[in-house]
Order: sequence, then C-alpha cells, then structure tokens
Amino acid sequence: MLDMLFTGWGAFWMTLFMLVPFAAMFFYVVYRKSVTDSGPSATPRATLSRLEGIWLTVAFVIFVGVNLASLKFMPLIKAAHAATSNQPLHEVDVSATSWAFDISNRQIEAGSTVRFSGRSKDTMHGFAVYHPDGRMLFTMMLMPGLKNPTTLIHTFNEPGKYKVRCLEYCGIAHHAMMDELTIVKNN
Amino acid sequence: MTIATAIIQKTPIFGRMFPVDKSTGLEEINAWPALMIMASFIWLAVAGLLGFVMPATQIFDLNTDHYYTGLTLHGAALAFPFSFQLMVGVGLHRSGGCVGKAITGWLPAMTFITMNLGAALLTVAVLMGLKVSLIVMYPLPLVGAQMGVWSMNSVIVGFTGIYLVLACMILLYPMLVLKMMFFGKKRPELVLSARTLNDPGMLGMILAALVLLVAGTPLVIVGTTVVGALYGIIPMSMASWATEPVVFQYAFFIFAHNLMEAMAIMVTSALYATLPLYLADGTRKLFSDKLANLALWILLVTSVTSFLHHFITLYPNQPSMLSYWGNIMSWGTGIGAALSIFTIFATIWQHGLRPEPGIMAALIGWVLYILDGASAMVTSNIAWAYQLHGTMWQSGHTMTVIVAMSMMWMGVLYHHYPVMTGRKLDPVLGTWFVRLFTIGGIGAALSMLAAGSAGMPRRFAAWNQEGWMFYGDLIVFFGLILGASFALFVYNMMKSREISAPMGEMATA
Repeated sequence: MLDMLFTGWGAFWMTLFMLVPFAAMFFYVVYRKSVTDSGPSATPRATLSRLEGIWLTVAFVIFVGVNLASLKFMPLIKAAHAATSNQPLHEVDVSATSWAFDISNRQIEAGSTVRFSGRSKDTMHGFAVYHPDGRMLFTMMLMPGLKNPTTLIHTFNEPGKYKVRCLEYCGIAHHAMMDELTIVKNN
Repeated sequence: MTIATAIIQKTPIFGRMFPVDKSTGLEEINAWPALMIMASFIWLAVAGLLGFVMPATQIFDLNTDHYYTGLTLHGAALAFPFSFQLMVGVGLHRSGGCVGKAITGWLPAMTFITMNLGAALLTVAVLMGLKVSLIVMYPLPLVGAQMGVWSMNSVIVGFTGIYLVLACMILLYPMLVLKMMFFGKKRPELVLSARTLNDPGMLGMILAALVLLVAGTPLVIVGTTVVGALYGIIPMSMASWATEPVVFQYAFFIFAHNLMEAMAIMVTSALYATLPLYLADGTRKLFSDKLANLALWILLVTSVTSFLHHFITLYPNQPSMLSYWGNIMSWGTGIGAALSIFTIFATIWQHGLRPEPGIMAALIGWVLYILDGASAMVTSNIAWAYQLHGTMWQSGHTMTVIVAMSMMWMGVLYHHYPVMTGRKLDPVLGTWFVRLFTIGGIGAALSMLAAGSAGMPRRFAAWNQEGWMFYGDLIVFFGLILGASFALFVYNMMKSREISAPMGEMATA
C-alpha cells in the first residue's frame, strides 16, 4: 500500500487529496458569503474556535502520518537494511560526462539488490532509472567535485530494458543523454 | 514631474497603462512603483512569447537549441523582472501609503536600474549563446565555455546580469524597505492607510525583506568573488573556493528557495491587508490578527531551513538527517498555511465578501498558491523526492508559485491602481480576467504536476518520448488561456477611464 502511495502518481493523488477539499470549501465559502448571504454570520465565535482546533488537528495528523510513513524510504534506512541482511549487494559505478554515462555493469539479474554509486566529471547531471512501462523508479543528483559518490540502493524485480536518463539540465544535448540497463531473469 | 513619471510617459504602448496621477499630490509614492510595475509587464510580454517557443520547438520539430534559449529566457524573465519587480512595485506602493514615506531618491532608482539592466544583460548573454536555465546550473556556464558550446564573453555578460539582478533583490530592495520602515520622516499627507508592524498586513513586508537580506548574503559573497575573478579583479586562485560547485549550489539555493518563501510571506501579508477592505459588512478586520501573525511567523521559521529539500537526492553527500530536516520544515510551512487558510475562511464567513475583481484575483491567486504549497510539500518528502526530482513536477511547482504570487499581486494592484493613476478599471474585463486565470492557472499547474508524475523530465527538449507530448499539449492549451488572462489584464489597464467621482474608498491602501 505504502509502496503505491510513494510513487509519482501517488504524489499526484496526495496533492489532490489535500487540494480538493480546500478548493471545494473555498468556493463554497466565497459563493455563500458573497452571493447567497453576504451579511454578517450568526456563527458564534466559540464555534469557529472549535472548528479552528479541528482543522489544525487534521493538518497535524496528515503532517505526522505522511512523514512517519515515508521514513522507511529514506536512503539511510535502506542502506542500514541492506547492511544487516545477508543479501549480496551488487555494486554498479556510474560516471557521467556531458552527454553520456559510463556504467560499470549494464546487465543485472532480476531480484538483485544493487548499490548505484554515481559521480559527475564535469557539470551537474542526474541518473534516473525508468521502468519499462515508462514510470520513473528513482533519480540521483550527481554533483561534480565531491569526494564521495552519490549512492542509492534499489532492488530490481522485473526483467526488461530500463531506460536511464539525465534529469539535471546539462546543456544543449541534455535530452540526448540516455543509456539503458538490462534486467535479466535470475537463473 | 519625477524622472520615473517622465519615463512612463515616453514609453510607447505600455506607458498608457500607468498615467501617473499628479493631481492628488501622491506622485512621490506613485511614480517609481508605477514605473517598476509597467516594466514588469513588458517583461511578462517577453516571457509569454518565449514561453511558447518551447512547445513550438517540440510540436513543429524545430532545432532544440531554440528550446533551451526559450527555457532560459522564459524562466529568468518570468521569475525576476516580471514577478519580483511586480512585487517590488506594488509592495513599495503599499509601504509608502502605510508609513507615509516618499519613494524617491537613489535607492528606488538603483533598484529599478539594477533589475532591468541586469535582466537585459542576461538576455543579451542568452542571445550570444548562453543557455544555462533559470537556476544557472553551475558549473554549467564554465563547462559550456570550456567545451566551446558558448563563449566566455557570454558567460561574463550573463554573470554580470545575474549579479545586478541579485544586487537588486538581496541588497537594494531590502534596504529600501528597511529605510522606509525605520528611518526618515513620516509625511502625513502621504499616509493613505496607517499601519504598524504589529499589523499582519505590514509584518510580512519586513519579514520578507529581512529573509532576502539574510538568506541572500552568502550568495552575494560567492557571486562577488566569482564575478571579481571573471573580470580579473581577484586572482582565480583566491576565488577557487567560491567556484566549487557544492559551495555555489548551496549558496544559490539558500537564497533562491527563500526568495520564493519571502515573496509568499509578503503577498500573504498583502492579502491580509486587502481582504478586510472588501468585507461586506464594512468591518475591516481579520478574524484574528494574532492567528494571522502566527501563520507568518511559522512560515518564516520553517521556510528558512527547508531549502535542504533541494538536495535530498544527493545522498549521502547531503546526510539523511539534513534531508529529513528539510522534509519536516517543508511540511511545517503547511501548518503556517493551515492557519492562514483558517484565518481567511473565517474572516469571509464572519463578515461576508464584496466579490470585486481585484479581491477575487488575489483570492484565486491564493488558491493557486495553496495548491502549489501542497505540491511543494509532497515533493519535499524524501520518498517522493526520489520519484519526482528533475521532472516536470518541479517545473510545475516553480511556474505555479510564480504565477500564483503574480496573480495575488495583480489583485492587490487592481486595488491600488485608481490611487496610482486616477483611473478606474472595467469590472467586466476584470471578471473575465479572473475566470480565465482560474481555468488557465489551475489547469496548467495540474497538467505539469501530472506530467511529472508520469516521469516527464523538466528542461528536456524531447517531449515525443513515452507519450509525454500529451502532457505538453495540455500545458500549451492551459498556458494559452493563462496568457489570454494576462493580456486581458493589460488591455484593461490600457483602456482604463478617468475617475470622475471623488477618490473616497479608493484612496485607502
């Protein structure tokens, strides 16, 4: 369930979840108090204060709920989990230069847990991996001049061709900076 | 007649928008703001035309170089000389009328010159070949020159332009606001609506100026060093620390992020000041000044360090702890927004609303701003950041926040316009402006967010992959409606008629 929520489309629905009730309330309040009944409201101040409390409680619950739920997706947590489990970690080094990637291993077995370590040799680049169905799985920011690589751990479960794109604008051929990973069936 | 009034009078077409009213003796608070606002709309026209260059290159399969030229100029023109300058113009007019201080002298003149000269130089640099996007993407300017993609001269011209724009935003404008608030003699004849710093409608002005000054100082230091080195004033060896990408990027985003937050704080404050003037029962008070001020303080405190969310996907170079801090602070701004939402709803509910175009424009801009806030919170969450960073979601967020705040300022401008010009606007055209903006603004925002959810990259001249052209077409459709709404607003100003009746209510800011 959480895995579905914390996807690109999950983000869109979450935004609508927050926006739609707000927008509906806005149009209701403005229409009601400017067209239907624009006179002073008879609603007691105490009632409004009670509503204020309820409203802030709802906002606070969403705040805490979403951010607690997202903890398991933190890279630190994933790295700690990978370190404590006995699963072998496949290391893939990525080096980005305008406008190409140098990837140490482009063929990975399905089910493998991979640690991508990326560096940039010139300017800002991104390393984004797309599922064969077109959705983005993750992206990493590669900044030149850093001592340590940017890293991310990911487990590929489905075989197929996974496109790699640069998502940090890096000049006039940025859109052509692409590569591919092949996830093969586990023998 | 001030020099600002003279420039407006001599400006073709756009000068007709702001015939500064000298009859009321308010020229000293009207002239420079009117000139800045007029200039901002010239830049809006430039940004609008360039905005359509991007989809045009994709739809008609043109040279992708044009896409990146349009990308850089459209973003830069929209964010700085349009949106920021509009805010400066309307904000200064508000401040002047609230504290009774003239907006004259070298500070407003330099604020105007640095912003427009800087933006013009950046435009020249882009036309010389520099294509670095709105946020410079440092060290791309230098790398591009080394690769021979553009010339070093274009980098020097571009950096000089950016430096002047930053000097306006980080130093001159905050100094101008602080000077007006705390120094100089108050002139009773210039007071239109006296306000103190305890007033929610005034507090945001000062908070925003301080945020710009404080959050921008590191970038001024870094920028001065880099520009000094480019001109050979400082040896390159002494500037090497500032040319480190990590130094530049962090200094840039501490400022760039807080620039948007400061503008949001300021425009929320302006809404707090304007809404009570349109309450149906004539109460002229918010539901609660304390709640309104608390919202501004929460927005201030949480927003300052939330810039860390820009580097979530740099892990472990930005430690998880800092990323999570940026995540939580970003969501903290939502608590400030929740207080703000309640204050505005409760105020309208208690006292009723006169739905005139100006206040409706400000309120619809605010609705779009809340939508943008929700999208910003979502993408600031660590889990979602890995799914959305670098996609059209981010472009949607940036475009929406700029357009939403501009709309709010245009709503406030609608209210100030009669005082500045002695003319009134057509309410029918004003109503259509609000309707078109509502459809165009919300439609474009949701289209761009949906494109990001589908994985469509931002700043990417290949929309024909993965079916993304569908989202591109949607963005163009709603973008055209948005452009039509802005054109209607400008047309309304050009066709404004003289007010024959006494100023009365209109002379309160």
